Amino acid sequence: MGESLPRVHGGAQQHSDTLRRPVHTLRVKMVLLGSSGVGKSSLALRFSKDEFRSTSPTVGCAYLTQVVHLSNATLRFEIWDTAGQEKYHSVTPLYYRGAHVALLVYDITQRETFVRAQVWLKELEKQYIPGSTVIWLVGNKGDLAHDRQVPLEEGESLASNKGLYFIETSALSGEQVNELLQSVAHRVFECIGAQQGGLTEWQETPTVDLRHKDSFNLFASCCKVGP
Amino acid sequence: MIRSHCILRTERRGIHVDQSDLLCKKGCGYYGNAAWQGLCSKCWREEYQRVRQKQIQDDWALAEKLQREEEAAYASSHGVQTQSTTPPQPGHTSLGPFSKFEEKKTNEKTRKVTTVKKFFSPSSRTASKKETQEGKTSPSISRHASFDTDQVSKDFVEFLKNLQKPGREIHKQCRAFLVNMSSKKDLGADELSECVQDFYQNLADRQMTHFKGSSESVEQVMDQVEKYIMTRLYKSVFCPETTDDERKDLATQNRIRALHWVTIQMLCVSMDEEIPEVSENVVKAITDIIEMDSKRVPRDKLACITRCSKHIFSAIRITKNEPASADDFLPALIYIVLKANPPRLQSNIQYITRFCNPSRLMTGEDGYYFTNLCCAAAFIEKLDAQSLNLSPEEFERYMSGQASPRCSSAEGEWPHTGQGAGVAATNPVLAQLNHNLEQLSSISSRQEKVMEAAQSLQADLLSWTESVQREVNDILEKYPLTCTVSAIDANNIDNDNLPPPLTPQVFAG
Ligand SMILES: Nc1nc2c(ncn2[C@@H]2O[C@H](COP(=O)(O)OP(=O)(O)O)[C@@H](O)[C@H]2O)c(=O)[nH]1
Ligand SMILES: [Mg+2]
Ligand SMILES: [Zn+2]
Repeated sequence: MGESLPRVHGGAQQHSDTLRRPVHTLRVKMVLLGSSGVGKSSLALRFSKDEFRSTSPTVGCAYLTQVVHLSNATLRFEIWDTAGQEKYHSVTPLYYRGAHVALLVYDITQRETFVRAQVWLKELEKQYIPGSTVIWLVGNKGDLAHDRQVPLEEGESLASNKGLYFIETSALSGEQVNELLQSVAHRVFECIGAQQGGLTEWQETPTVDLRHKDSFNLFASCCKVGP
Repeated sequence: MIRSHCILRTERRGIHVDQSDLLCKKGCGYYGNAAWQGLCSKCWREEYQRVRQKQIQDDWALAEKLQREEEAAYASSHGVQTQSTTPPQPGHTSLGPFSKFEEKKTNEKTRKVTTVKKFFSPSSRTASKKETQEGKTSPSISRHASFDTDQVSKDFVEFLKNLQKPGREIHKQCRAFLVNMSSKKDLGADELSECVQDFYQNLADRQMTHFKGSSESVEQVMDQVEKYIMTRLYKSVFCPETTDDERKDLATQNRIRALHWVTIQMLCVSMDEEIPEVSENVVKAITDIIEMDSKRVPRDKLACITRCSKHIFSAIRITKNEPASADDFLPALIYIVLKANPPRLQSNIQYITRFCNPSRLMTGEDGYYFTNLCCAAAFIEKLDAQSLNLSPEEFERYMSGQASPRCSSAEGEWPHTGQGAGVAATNPVLAQLNHNLEQLSSISSRQEKVMEAAQSLQADLLSWTESVQREVNDILEKYPLTCTVSAIDANNIDNDNLPPPLTPQVFAG
């Protein structure tokens, strides 16, 4: 199925697809966690696909970006895919240092991935600074309802017990993927963006005082210093 | 396919240095560094403390010179500004520029005075004495070391010139900070890191007001500041004595060496080195990660990691014909690190962590690759049988060198005889030994043959001499030697016509 998912454009230049908008562009680090095969990479590709050419000139899809526009800010998601193999678990904490969002992904057709997600949650909680990371529990492969091993309610109740956000998605059909990204954007801006030093600006976009955000400046890019 | 291997091998020959070349020239067992004339950080400090002292003074002299230039440039640009903005006042047209000229002159005078004073002050006299001393011991070091820093300082001042007044302010603050740091050499690494990070933070905050919140301009300035500051601090804060970074480097270095037997298959890496393009990328990735150690500025080191990573992505993409995911990338990076055994890996990671802008490490593409490198290093440290899908017994045997997994595929390369083949299948190290023994015995039998041949040759020679002797004697007997006086010698009639012999003559001086 990975074949059917959209590919990343290899040679895209970082500058050309920067959306030159006279609003704040804040960078959001989002880490995908979960067992191997639950669909992290597929989700990452889905996130960065729609209405968006990949910003990354790399030939890989381990680090991807996606820009989400909110009414009063633009968020530039930096999506960190992680190696899900069991043997790399001990090093995973290095990935979510400084993450604003963590997506805990499991496969609804594999109960052990749900159990694993809870182990990850424990790890995350060790490092968790309240208000600094928004955690989402994501039940993926929602399209495979007939093979479901983890009921929807179970995911929901775990999330509410632990104070996480919850959603079920399908990276295959794309169902709920965009919704997930949109609600993550809203939450992260509400919860973290407002804090002092919560989100940092992305420096490759010229930034203009918020008061002038309504007057779209066509020539904003001319004022950019440097290459 | 064969070609690709050749490329790899030759390239690696270029990269890998003999172990002894890497060690400290003083023989203390630690790693030396070309930038420290082959000494380790400790010996370097002991040996060249004074050189560094001198370098600091040189830096100061240069900074002062640059400051002067900068002020002059600022003054002149300021002069131009006043001329263009304020309309010439009637009656003072010639006075304006002239008074400026006067002002400059007096400035120069006072400066000259201070320099002269300085020259005769006791501190500068001792310094110059040191200078000549150091000049004798190692002139190349100080010259070489100050060259890069000079260039960086010049570039920095050039850059700041464009910023006009804020630029001058930044320069002043950076210099003050460097002086401050030189008195803090004995601080722990964490405290040093804190000092630098605080400085970055304060400077960035102050500029935020200067540039009216344009984080882009601030980032640009901060990049230059980082370059300038870290180029100067590098030697005192990279792998400092107060930490056990150097010990960790040695441990990692040895660990990676002990893991030489790990194959690409064990790590489940999706790179097929049989494909020439892939192996080219692998070689480049190895080169990049090794190059990291030669950079001084944290951001330059990061750039090496990013370049290395991109080559890995290319290699995976070519192999799999689809973009690499994190599941492919991390194992591949681990494999590259194992192959490269990058010099002072831990020190470099620590240095970047301590002195790079933290937002660059935790976010952004560079940050992603750096994090993966940290993961790779941590993984290698903890690597066990399970992480390679081996049984603990197998892992132990490979680690202890009793067995090597790689040789099962290379079995065919050795022409072993019947008795060795059985053993080789189970224990390739023994097979290699057998093979060597066979070669040794064949060499010794050949040597015996050579000795025999030599002896018979010697005997032949002896008998040949005898036979020649005999022949000569026979001939002498047959034709006895008789002496007859020749006719020419007998009638030596012209003897009287010869000129008289030369007599020595005395020449008067
Ligand atoms: N049916 C279905 N398959 C999926 C979905 N997401 C991913 N997969 C498949 O699951 C496998 C593993 O996906 P991948 O993204 O590599 O998982 P990762 O190891 O977590 O990165 C692939 O074969 C995908 O095609 C999904 O939503 N539905
Ligand atoms: Mg994946
Ligand atoms: Zn030494």
